[in-house]
Amino acid sequence: MSEAINFATLDSEPYYLELADEIEIFEAAYRARLPVLLKGPTGCGKTRFVEHMAWRIFRQTKHPIELPLITISCHEDLTATDMVGRFLLKGDETIWSDGPLTRAVRSGAICYLDEIVEARKDTTVLIHSLTDHRRLLPIDKTGELVSAHEDFLMVISYNPGYQSVLKDLKPSTRQRFVSLEFDYPDPEREAAIISHESGVDHKMAERLSVIGQKVRYLREHGFEEGVSTRLLIYTGELVKNGITPRRAAEIAIVYAVSDDRTVQQAIAEIVDAILP
Amino acid sequence: MIDLAATEQTLALFVEGMAGRYLHIKATQEFSSRRLSIDLASANQTTDTLLLPDQLDAPSASAYRVLALEQLAYREFGTFGFSLAEMRSRITLPEPENSNAGRASDLIQFFYLCPQPALIAQWFAIAERTRVVARMERAYPGIVKHARAYRTHQLQALDLDLIETIDDLARMASLNHLGATPALLKSLDLTGLVAPILAQLATLSTTTTDVYHSAACAMSIASLIAPYLNEVPANLVISEAENETQEWMQREARLQNWEEDLGQLEQQALSIAMLDANDIEVQQTEDAEGGLRTTELDLKSIQNERDVLQRRIGMEKSAIRDALGDEKTNARSYRYDEWDHLHQRYLKHWCRLFEERLEPQGDEDILALKQAVDVWRHRVQQQLEQIKPLGYQRVRRVTDGDELDFNAIISARQDIRAGQTPDDRLYSRRQRVHRDVCAALLVDLSASTDDSVDIPEPVEYDEEGAPVNLRDPFDDDDPCHAPLVPPEPERRIIDVQREAVTVMAGALEQLGDSYGIYGFSGYGKDCVEYYVAKDLNQPFTSATLGAIAAMQPKRSTRMGPAIRHTTQKLANSGNALKVLLMISDGFPQDSDYGPERGDHKWGLEDSARALREAQEKGIETFCVTVDRSGHDYLKTMCPDARYMVIEEIEDLPEALSKVYSALTG
Repeated sequence: MSEAINFATLDSEPYYLELADEIEIFEAAYRARLPVLLKGPTGCGKTRFVEHMAWRIFRQTKHPIELPLITISCHEDLTATDMVGRFLLKGDETIWSDGPLTRAVRSGAICYLDEIVEARKDTTVLIHSLTDHRRLLPIDKTGELVSAHEDFLMVISYNPGYQSVLKDLKPSTRQRFVSLEFDYPDPEREAAIISHESGVDHKMAERLSVIGQKVRYLREHGFEEGVSTRLLIYTGELVKNGITPRRAAEIAIVYAVSDDRTVQQAIAEIVDAILP
Repeated sequence: MIDLAATEQTLALFVEGMAGRYLHIKATQEFSSRRLSIDLASANQTTDTLLLPDQLDAPSASAYRVLALEQLAYREFGTFGFSLAEMRSRITLPEPENSNAGRASDLIQFFYLCPQPALIAQWFAIAERTRVVARMERAYPGIVKHARAYRTHQLQALDLDLIETIDDLARMASLNHLGATPALLKSLDLTGLVAPILAQLATLSTTTTDVYHSAACAMSIASLIAPYLNEVPANLVISEAENETQEWMQREARLQNWEEDLGQLEQQALSIAMLDANDIEVQQTEDAEGGLRTTELDLKSIQNERDVLQRRIGMEKSAIRDALGDEKTNARSYRYDEWDHLHQRYLKHWCRLFEERLEPQGDEDILALKQAVDVWRHRVQQQLEQIKPLGYQRVRRVTDGDELDFNAIISARQDIRAGQTPDDRLYSRRQRVHRDVCAALLVDLSASTDDSVDIPEPVEYDEEGAPVNLRDPFDDDDPCHAPLVPPEPERRIIDVQREAVTVMAGALEQLGDSYGIYGFSGYGKDCVEYYVAKDLNQPFTSATLGAIAAMQPKRSTRMGPAIRHTTQKLANSGNALKVLLMISDGFPQDSDYGPERGDHKWGLEDSARALREAQEKGIETFCVTVDRSGHDYLKTMCPDARYMVIEEIEDLPEALSKVYSALTG
């Protein structure tokens, strides 16, 4: 459970390159305390965007809060209890322990639920009451009704690509959020991001972004997502650490995006053609 | 020798990635056109296809990648976008003598504006290849080593003769392309032209060049050579064989510009018409003379222009289709082996299968389909309910859940009393149990499914054993052949098939199994058609219903490739239990399914083989046929208890669900 939850202190500014008007929109949404839904493929920068925004909102304005961003990565076994809190046995007694969501609600942090559709259905109940005008968190185990701190904001993300219909977001949930759509950046900006994040030179970053673009054309063949910006950055980091570009691309791109032998072979050939 | 077949699959993906769109990869032999013939030994392309030699004398399979990428480079670096107007803006060209513009491509028109059209055409091709290859190698540096290896290999096979005549210069250029060093070429030169020509070509690989540079370069080279030509034929015709597909690709690219112009004209006409309508009241009082107003004149001329352009586009389109063959831009194509039972071997990559989505046409009667389905739904669901699992099961001893697990609590208390650390998994919860089943419904869409359900049509044989009732494969969408009087609406086999798969889809949706609905038909080994109404991972939507309704009787029944393709899909699904249900109305037959037309044995053996391959891949197969004579041939085609002949076709939906629950329950 501990790996799925991340408390960020955000002491320095997380790098984020704006692609459209998303920073302005998010700031406006935060001023109105409108919950935000981030849609987009994996590794395109949703989490980084939230980190960046949390830093902007809380750190740039010297907001006195210890943990401005609490990220919960949702998965199939994540229950409402994991989010809200539980009674723990301690000696002969049971003690209530707040979950990450409750902490965010009480302290007024941004609570970011990553890949929300992966979570079990009982979590939606919590989301609903927190995201409309009530801004309440009911804790049925203690019978408590927590009003959200005035700074609290809920942000959720989901990836419309690979989840099946069974795991689609319900309209009643979806319509409580303002939606920001994300996609992989254009080759030029992607090259800038790769170069900044991994430290490779611009020429190499450009080549990697061309690889990304070409491999994404093959999305339909068993890997709906294409290669993410994150993977391209990983490749850059491997290169920066002395691995040859071809080997780095093999490890971080070819084997990472598909298990299908033929598709791997084709991607390897694309990489081979593009890298010098 | 390298076989295309061996590398085709990855090559198709490579090309799709590099080009950003799907292109069929075909052997040059597969090219069929009423007008053109292409050089079988070299790479070529049409709108939706890359044509590559079936076999290549090359050091490695990467040579195919080099050839493919070179062809793609012509697209990427703007060869086909050559426009005469743009060329004129860069260079002074004489006005054309006869204004027969419009038929030939801009490039050909440009050639004929030059003093020696054939010479220019020849050197343009060389210059453009030099340019495009240089651009390609700069954009994709990784391909260079493969290209070098392949070209060196080709170069070794060539004799290096002296360059004596003007005709030898083109040969010199291809040696240059293959990597012969300028020094070597110059040493062979007796004409004294090699050095200046190479210098001209070299300008194309140094800077960021476009197609117009190549054209200008071709002009300068031609002017170098021209004085040495003994005689210039007055009406030199450009060689027909020279890159003729490229000429048509040019024309197709130009078509897009025309269509844009057409759009603009339509906009203009519309805006003038609207202006006119606004002005009409004012005009009525002022315009007493009754003459044509200027706006009216404008409108007339624009409409006229638009109509002319529209006709021209139409003519051009059909000319292009006539030359390049029908395009299948929306389909993907695959090649499959076929079983030759006479020699007990596979014919490698024998059939080409085109996979296409069934698009709802909008005029299908979805409502009727829905109503027809209601009759069956209840019975089918009853059938399938027997196999539906409880859905939820209670899991005990978990860290949390909707109920306390009392046994766990008791033992936890005991542990606490005993001074030990208790297990904190004190809850129980309900968990959904998944069925891991994946099913494919494969529907025969042969022409005979058009037959009515009520009057069973016995299969008749003539003396040679061929069925008399072989339909003309080309008439299925030809309006001329349609009967003048629409026939009475009667229930056809296809109707029942459609209803059956719709009912099954509803039932499978409830079960939560993953499933796909496919139809197949085709004509001949190079054109097996495979229609996707719903793919395995797609959700069932109203569009799916439309797609099912769009299933129509088509042509023949080549089962083998369709089964193999479905097998491929199922095998890739990753589900534990995989089921292939084929619904057909007769034995497999196609125009060239076997050496003799009337020979059904070949088709049966191939289909049987395909089914066996599926079973070897862990797929449960089952054939349902509505052909009453089905027992005869299904016995040879399917293993025992893996087929069913339905006497009353109306029983199909129920039979399907029975089969399904037996297979997966």
